Amino acid sequence: MTITNDIGLNCGKRTWLRPTLLVPLAAVAFAGAIGLALIAMIGVSVPNAIAAFVDGTIGSPYALAASLNRSSVFALVGFGFILANRANLTNVGGEGQIAVGGIAATAVALYGHVEGLPLGLAFILPTIAAVIAGALWGGLAALLKVKSGTNEVISTLLLSFIGVWLLYWSVQSPALLRKPMTSSATLPESLEIPDETKLPLLTGDYSFPVHIGLPLTLGLAVVVWLILSKTILGVRLRAVGLNPVAAHRAGISYARTVIFGLATAGALGGLAGALMLLGEQYTLKDGFSSGYGFDGLVAGLLSRGSVPGVIAASLLFGFMRSGGINMEMVAAVPTALVVVIQGLIVITLAGAALFIEKWEQR
Amino acid sequence: MTWELLAVFLGSSIRLAAPLLLAGIGEMVSERAGVLNMSIEGMMLMSAFAAAVGSWATGNPLTGLLIAIVAVQPVALLQAALSNSLRANQIVSGIGINILVLGATTLAYREIFGARSRTEIPGLSKVTPPILGDIPVFGHAVFEQVWLLYAGLALIVVTALVFRYTSIGIAIHAAGAEPKAVEKSGLSVTAIRYGCVLFAGFMSSLAGAFLSIGDIHTFTEGMTRGAGYLAIASVIFGKWRIGGTVLACLLFGGATALQFQLPALGIGVPNALLIMLPYLLALLAVGGLVGRQMAPASLGEAYRR
Repeated sequence: MTITNDIGLNCGKRTWLRPTLLVPLAAVAFAGAIGLALIAMIGVSVPNAIAAFVDGTIGSPYALAASLNRSSVFALVGFGFILANRANLTNVGGEGQIAVGGIAATAVALYGHVEGLPLGLAFILPTIAAVIAGALWGGLAALLKVKSGTNEVISTLLLSFIGVWLLYWSVQSPALLRKPMTSSATLPESLEIPDETKLPLLTGDYSFPVHIGLPLTLGLAVVVWLILSKTILGVRLRAVGLNPVAAHRAGISYARTVIFGLATAGALGGLAGALMLLGEQYTLKDGFSSGYGFDGLVAGLLSRGSVPGVIAASLLFGFMRSGGINMEMVAAVPTALVVVIQGLIVITLAGAALFIEKWEQR
Repeated sequence: MTWELLAVFLGSSIRLAAPLLLAGIGEMVSERAGVLNMSIEGMMLMSAFAAAVGSWATGNPLTGLLIAIVAVQPVALLQAALSNSLRANQIVSGIGINILVLGATTLAYREIFGARSRTEIPGLSKVTPPILGDIPVFGHAVFEQVWLLYAGLALIVVTALVFRYTSIGIAIHAAGAEPKAVEKSGLSVTAIRYGCVLFAGFMSSLAGAFLSIGDIHTFTEGMTRGAGYLAIASVIFGKWRIGGTVLACLLFGGATALQFQLPALGIGVPNALLIMLPYLLALLAVGGLVGRQMAPASLGEAYRR
């Protein structure tokens, strides 16, 4: 069960030829090559598909901004994943944490009477609500693990399904967040949140709509890096991850560490949901989380436990998603291709863990 | 509630529990041998797809079923190789396989069916067993099921007998509980675990085929929708025993059937809550409703000689 236990911190070999760097690059290249082969197989011109892909990622300021916003969401979930994983906890619940974050943010933005508040509280309070909701969702899995030894993989997964259906319920029921039904054609979605509660754009210009989520994510990247490498919290997570019994003997509380790890991961997932809702979508709809939780999880896996790794993987996936969407619209390549590439990357990396381990032991 | 409605409810509970049952028993065998097989979700989806395509292309659902069984084995072999030979993290490799299969089947479905989506596909036939089928009111409503379910039940009984009375059962159990002892007795842990993962793949292929050509006669993208994870939860709920797993699957099937039954009775429960119910029950189950869980001792750990 070692995937990311000792990555990033061991300062032994600081060369660029480390397998921890080379193997993910090779995995991405391998998966990308298969992706190109598949494009050729389904009879689409490869140059056209690549042109559409590039156009969808950096072809316009809007495309670039959308990719960056999406990357922020993946990165937040990814940070949560590596933080919990330092304690050998595998949080697979990003999807549900995004969903409950989105629900909480919508509820407070629409019905919390926050739109008149000064100092940015109008969007800060819904964001905080989302963070709390996500932390509770992650904390629930931690509680089950501490109380009855429930494997967090299965509990966070089940909580994801529950979160996603909770969201469906919220937008289906007029008693919850569905907008008032004026006719039978009223869509099952929430009202649009008030302008004051939307996240401010960095440039203030809708042709390049990067919102403050990006600098926030970068700030949190530093915080997570500090926690993992410079603080006692990081040491505790690591100790529990490597050997819970020894950690206990050293006076580190297993329960508190597990709760801290999973609740923080959940909080970051909730925050990701807030960014999606308050920064981009503005109305809550069914299917809101759209698989972003799983993409963030994959980004966390790819990074092998390092913060810069999460950022790199999130940018990769953020741009891949944007490019994939444009490929479907322009070049008739289904976006499922991007999913295939992601799956291949995960499998290749999982399979290469033994190889990396052996290399590093040389 | 009238007797007729009760009969319909029981019948649909069994029908909805069937894929969980088949996959759940496969998963249980694999976990007893020490491999946490997260990829049964992907294996079921692969099978549902292959069965649908096979049945549609040949016009014969039985050929579709055979194609599905064959198509899942490479996926199972990949999982077995990753979790045994390459000692990969079993959870990560399982999730990777699930992502890959979701992407691949969606892509292939679009390519093959394109605009003709939701094509009706020839499905497996239903049978009503003698004697049971003659029970008034309940006979047809409860026991008229796709024959694959009865074949699967027979397989489950065989599995139970193998576990209880044969040395194979003991070896499987030991591979998950005390792999070193198995190796000392001259058997190969790796071989046992490969076999059990392939068996889980076989059972998952029956489960997936049941979904697409047994139950609804069509394929939709990502149609398993977490059924594989429910099957895993049912193994935990059932405390890694066949009887317990079967009961857990029936419970989840019943919870799913309520979605269709309660509205028919005019009971106004939000639909979303009912859809959520099996997952909620599963969460309660794995969360210790059944007491502290006794997982096989070396579950999830790759064996190192």
